[in-house]
Amino acid sequence: MVEASGIPTVVVSTGRDLSAQVRPPRTVFVNFPMGNPFGRPFNTAQQRAILLDALRALETVEQGGAMIDLPYEWGENFAMKLGSGYQAKSA
Amino acid sequence: MEPIQYAARLNEFYRSQGFPPYNWTINEGAPLMRLAKPLGRCRIAMLTSGGVSRKDAAPFNPQARNDLRLDPIDRETPAHFFAINDDYYNHADADRDINCIFPIDRLRELAAEGVIGEVAPHHYSGFMGRIYVRTAVMNEAAPALARKLREESVDAFVLVPA
Repeated sequence: MVEASGIPTVVVSTGRDLSAQVRPPRTVFVNFPMGNPFGRPFNTAQQRAILLDALRALETVEQGGAMIDLPYEWGENFAMKLGSGYQAKSA
Repeated sequence: MEPIQYAARLNEFYRSQGFPPYNWTINEGAPLMRLAKPLGRCRIAMLTSGGVSRKDAAPFNPQARNDLRLDPIDRETPAHFFAINDDYYNHADADRDINCIFPIDRLRELAAEGVIGEVAPHHYSGFMGRIYVRTAVMNEAAPALARKLREESVDAFVLVPA
């Protein structure tokens, strides 16, 4: 909606399949846990790099719906958190 | 590791709980606007949907459904002046450093260095999820947000869903 109104947008996503369904105009995918799209706390270099990648996608993407897979590795396996919100719904 | 298949996991979870299938939004294409000027002259705003509020505002309700609340966040807000209320993702790291999900310090630094033109007067926080009223979003909330961004002459918008 924002893009259609004339303002370029970029989504920083940790849910590759979710973004692939919605197809925002531009997505940068970071394979990190959902609470860490810009990485680890106080790792300013990592946060800055990911933000810069998102901003550069504003300049480089030429096809609406593009998804860019960023190369960062979280360094350990992580699982989807079915948080207390989901538990509450089942109560 | 391979990306987590969130939609499949959620479909399975909903089914196990006896809920009807979630009606995912699936779009085939997307519009694309070009940047009107180089990044170094652009005014940039960000959005978080992670239940992030300023400490002088009411907290988000983590159990809310169809909460279309959208807070303007002054660009000078200090990184420690946020609270996160959302039960659907692990925000332990972001509780310590908001820049994990909402890199407000990093964007200010990029503006100070001239990598971007400037930070817009306001960022936004809201649309925190469990929103099942797509028509209200598409017809009202999203256009209202686009209007505010245009009023503040925002050149590009970074969205961070959570």
